[in-house]
Amino acid sequence: MATMLRMPEVAASATSATLLAWNKQVGEAVAVGDVLAEIESEKAVVEYPAEAAGTIGQLLLAAGQEAEVGTPIAVLLAPGETTADAAALLATLEADAPATATGSGVEPGPAPVPALESVSTQLAGAPEPAKRVLASPLARRLARERGIDLADLRGSGPHGRIVKRDLEAARPLSAASVATAPSGESAFREIPHSGMRRTIARRLSESKASIPHFYLSADCRVERLLALREEFNANRPRRVSINDFIVRAVALALHEVPEANVAWTDTAMRQFAQADIAVAVATDDGLITPIVRGAEGKSVSQISAEIAGLAERARAGKLQPGEYRGGSFSVSNLGMYGVDEFTAIVNPPQAAILAVGAVRQQPVVENGAPACGSILRCTLSVDHRAIDGALAARWLAAFRKAVEAPFALLV
Amino acid sequence: MTECIKLAPIANWVELKTTDEDWARADPALLGNLLAQMHLIRGFEECVLELAAEGLIHGPAHSSIGQEGGAVGSIAALTAADQINGSHRGHHQFLAKALSYLAPAGIDFRAPLPAGVQALLQRTLAEILGLAQGFCAGRGGSMHLQWVEAGALGTNAIVGGGVPLAAGAAWAHRHAGTDAVAMTCFGDGAVNIGSALESMNLAAAWQLPLCFFIENNGYAVSTRVEEATHEPRLSSRGSAFGIPSWKVDGMDPLAVWLATREALAHMRAGNGPTLIEVDVYRYFHQNGPFPGSAFGYRDKAEEAAWRERDPLELVATKMRERGLLDKADVAVLRETVKEAMRKATAELLEADPDGKPGRRRIQPALWPSPNFRDVALRGDLDELTDARVEELATYAGKIEPRKFVDVVADVMGRRMETDDRVVVLGEDVHKLKGGTNGATRGLTERFPGRVLGTPISENAFVGLGGGIAMDGRFRPVVEFMYPDFMWVAADQVFNQIGKARHMFGGGFEMPLVLRTKVAMGTGYGSQHSMDPAGIFATSPGWRIVAPSTPFDYVGLMNAALACKDPVLVIEHVDLYGTTGPAAVDDLDYQLPFGKAAVRRSGSEVTVLSYLSMVAHALEAVEQTGIDAEVIDLRWLDRASLDWDTIEASIRKTNNVLIVEQGARGTSYGGWLADELQRRCFDWLDQPIQRVTGGEASPSISKVLERAAIARTEEVAAGLAAVMHDKGRR
Repeated sequence: MATMLRMPEVAASATSATLLAWNKQVGEAVAVGDVLAEIESEKAVVEYPAEAAGTIGQLLLAAGQEAEVGTPIAVLLAPGETTADAAALLATLEADAPATATGSGVEPGPAPVPALESVSTQLAGAPEPAKRVLASPLARRLARERGIDLADLRGSGPHGRIVKRDLEAARPLSAASVATAPSGESAFREIPHSGMRRTIARRLSESKASIPHFYLSADCRVERLLALREEFNANRPRRVSINDFIVRAVALALHEVPEANVAWTDTAMRQFAQADIAVAVATDDGLITPIVRGAEGKSVSQISAEIAGLAERARAGKLQPGEYRGGSFSVSNLGMYGVDEFTAIVNPPQAAILAVGAVRQQPVVENGAPACGSILRCTLSVDHRAIDGALAARWLAAFRKAVEAPFALLV
Repeated sequence: MTECIKLAPIANWVELKTTDEDWARADPALLGNLLAQMHLIRGFEECVLELAAEGLIHGPAHSSIGQEGGAVGSIAALTAADQINGSHRGHHQFLAKALSYLAPAGIDFRAPLPAGVQALLQRTLAEILGLAQGFCAGRGGSMHLQWVEAGALGTNAIVGGGVPLAAGAAWAHRHAGTDAVAMTCFGDGAVNIGSALESMNLAAAWQLPLCFFIENNGYAVSTRVEEATHEPRLSSRGSAFGIPSWKVDGMDPLAVWLATREALAHMRAGNGPTLIEVDVYRYFHQNGPFPGSAFGYRDKAEEAAWRERDPLELVATKMRERGLLDKADVAVLRETVKEAMRKATAELLEADPDGKPGRRRIQPALWPSPNFRDVALRGDLDELTDARVEELATYAGKIEPRKFVDVVADVMGRRMETDDRVVVLGEDVHKLKGGTNGATRGLTERFPGRVLGTPISENAFVGLGGGIAMDGRFRPVVEFMYPDFMWVAADQVFNQIGKARHMFGGGFEMPLVLRTKVAMGTGYGSQHSMDPAGIFATSPGWRIVAPSTPFDYVGLMNAALACKDPVLVIEHVDLYGTTGPAAVDDLDYQLPFGKAAVRRSGSEVTVLSYLSMVAHALEAVEQTGIDAEVIDLRWLDRASLDWDTIEASIRKTNNVLIVEQGARGTSYGGWLADELQRRCFDWLDQPIQRVTGGEASPSISKVLERAAIARTEEVAAGLAAVMHDKGRR
């Protein structure tokens, strides 16, 4: 059974003593006679030996702290016992008088909480930590320069170290060589993943696996928006796009419904002070989402110019991390590819993304009569942890209002 | 019945005491000078202790209060051409020499201080405080005071460490044909150390004008001289070496002056060294402002008894008796000194704005700049700029095969022929047809008096070489018969020769060449089989060259002899007998400074080697067929190494194998690998690999010796290991 270790009486009639140092840490096995700790009284420093074998389950007094004689200082687990036993013993302790550590440093110290965890992982035989990739400094540099992910390579050096030769062997693959398929299978080529590809794969897998998505769609009437855009672009050297207006509309909707301008974190809801809109840009290497920061305070033409600049740098691979990290909301527009509608995956740590399709001419009923309308179908993907259905609907309504009454976008 | 014949030492050993007649006849100006100098020193030292008590002196302040009589009495008898050096307790001797230099006719105790004295006091104090205006730019401090111009060659913090250097100065005086002498001052604590005793022997053997001046203050820190030796009359030591010796009461400056005058006459007449023991007393503890009795190793009564015999009081009393001064004169002199020290401190200190009232601090602007840290650790190599440099590959003259060792002797002979300053010293270098290996063949006959066979006392003779180099009039070439002897001479090699230039502020040069030969493979065993490159490479101040061909030997030795830094020239017994390319009738070129030689161009691995291992590396490359790039480093020390060539090669091959022959522990490659992994980290495809000998020093047994050292087979194995660790083929 788990044993409570208490502060010993180091010298006759000593009332308290200071724990100088723990010689054993949580999870460490202890044999009879092992020195567990050094304890100092006014007169002496003594070694505190273990009287029974076991494993340290928890340390209750941090090194340097003083405690009265008899105060519990640690839990010793008998062989085979788990953290549950330590917890049970501690529960009985809590029923007793509270621990009476003296002096100012009554803080339990950092040891106890992680201590229980580390005991449990030890007892449960936790999986090994992810294996470090062994690579020579040269190999690392070459991989960096050539955009090769070392995790894709198998090292042929000592201890499996990836060395220069392994990178040279990897080079033909990156040039998309044709590999011979095993018999019975069609020929294929293997194109090594770029770092960007891997990042996309990892982040979106995480998003889809861990974020509870739900989706809301809305058809927006955009005749007025199209007309406004025509007028706006007349006599301008650089034309603004539908998407530029949409980004502006998204920003205004976030401004109007700030509860939707949020991100989920484990400890709190993070509500953003401004609308930082991430805009999906397709590059040869894959998708990247540079950010228009504070879009609610920027004009359509400013937003347009900024997106153009970011997209250009994104395609040139010259974005700085600060230009694509963070953001509070994403816009993905596949309208230019003729896509009618689609749903997007939330771009973590954001809580929502708007998927924008192409403008379609389609029959609509207006005042009871059929008419021809210009429709833009938008689908909002939402992290349900952060945003509920009604709130999402409210935001979508605000967005639609902004798109359908577009003069407000120019204000 | 055996017959016992009483023997007597060949040299005199006397105790010299003054008589009333001596005092009556003494020149009043001499007495006044002794008094004034002692007061200046006492006042200076009191000021130092005051600053020490205020915590303003970083490190120990070894005061000489109580010992002024010995220093002033002896040094006042010297001329400006004579030189002194001293120990950790050396303020008094330094000041005495400097004062005598500034006022060669003596100081008139009634007159204002002579020109330059105020500045001397300030600069000396500044040095002790570690300030830029000090004599050694603040590097030396209390224990390393040097003013070469005044004949103060430098005080020394290694007990006895300065003695061999002074022997070098004395050798230079004698060899230059002057009658100047050197005086080396040390204490009772140093009299039993090898450097001092070896130097006594060497100076006597070579009849050098060197005065061993022993200040016997009775204590080595707290250890009484009677505990440290069975013969506490330390002047007895001279008898063992045939050195005439005087025992004198050091509290009587006139007695010391008279003894010194006798010793000087002996030395100036070319009769060799002398020894003077002065019995003195330091009133305070080893360092700091408290008496020794406070530390319990002596009592107050003993201290009081010695203070009764204060040398300042003695001279003042004797002068009063002769009507040469009155009490007021002494008070005025003391006040003059105090005022001078007040002025000196005022220039260096100021009120501490953050401290309590009355608290002082060093004026912040006076500290040396931190970036002065390594300045002048070595010379600027200006001396090499006009040299004719040659490389074998581009040499226009004729090349013929020559035996390596013949070239060693030839180039030294050529330099001795063209440069009278070059002298060679070492064990047996003057006999056996060119020493044990023929490396000095023919030189004794051609250059009499310039090839010096030394007693077996490496510490003394390499230190003597260091002293000659510091003097600057001659170019010593010292030979260690085996590299392992550097341990015997470690103090002189590393603490003195390697550090001196930097430690004393960088104001002089140290042009010394140290030759030695690696003898691995000759069966000389554990204590004669080291490669010294690694140890010297970690000792700042030394440059190192390691020639692997006769052509390179000539060029590197000429560069080493031209260089004004200490240079270790490493040779190898295996190379002596080999034949290699040499220039015909041309012994006057240098190799370009700091250039390695790519002996074989290759792509797979950079092999860095030197000396005999270059040939082994090339042979291993040949045998294995591995396309290695083999670089002969030639210049091995950090400041001379060809980093450009090495780094370019590593950037090409991405793999490094450092090849050397000797034991791993003291190896050369360790520090080089460390440096290269830092410089070339992103170009390395595997850890830097090394070929070395075993851990232990090679044994005498032929089989064990072969197992303990690296040759071609080990290099081949090293190459294979590198290739294996390069991964799949």
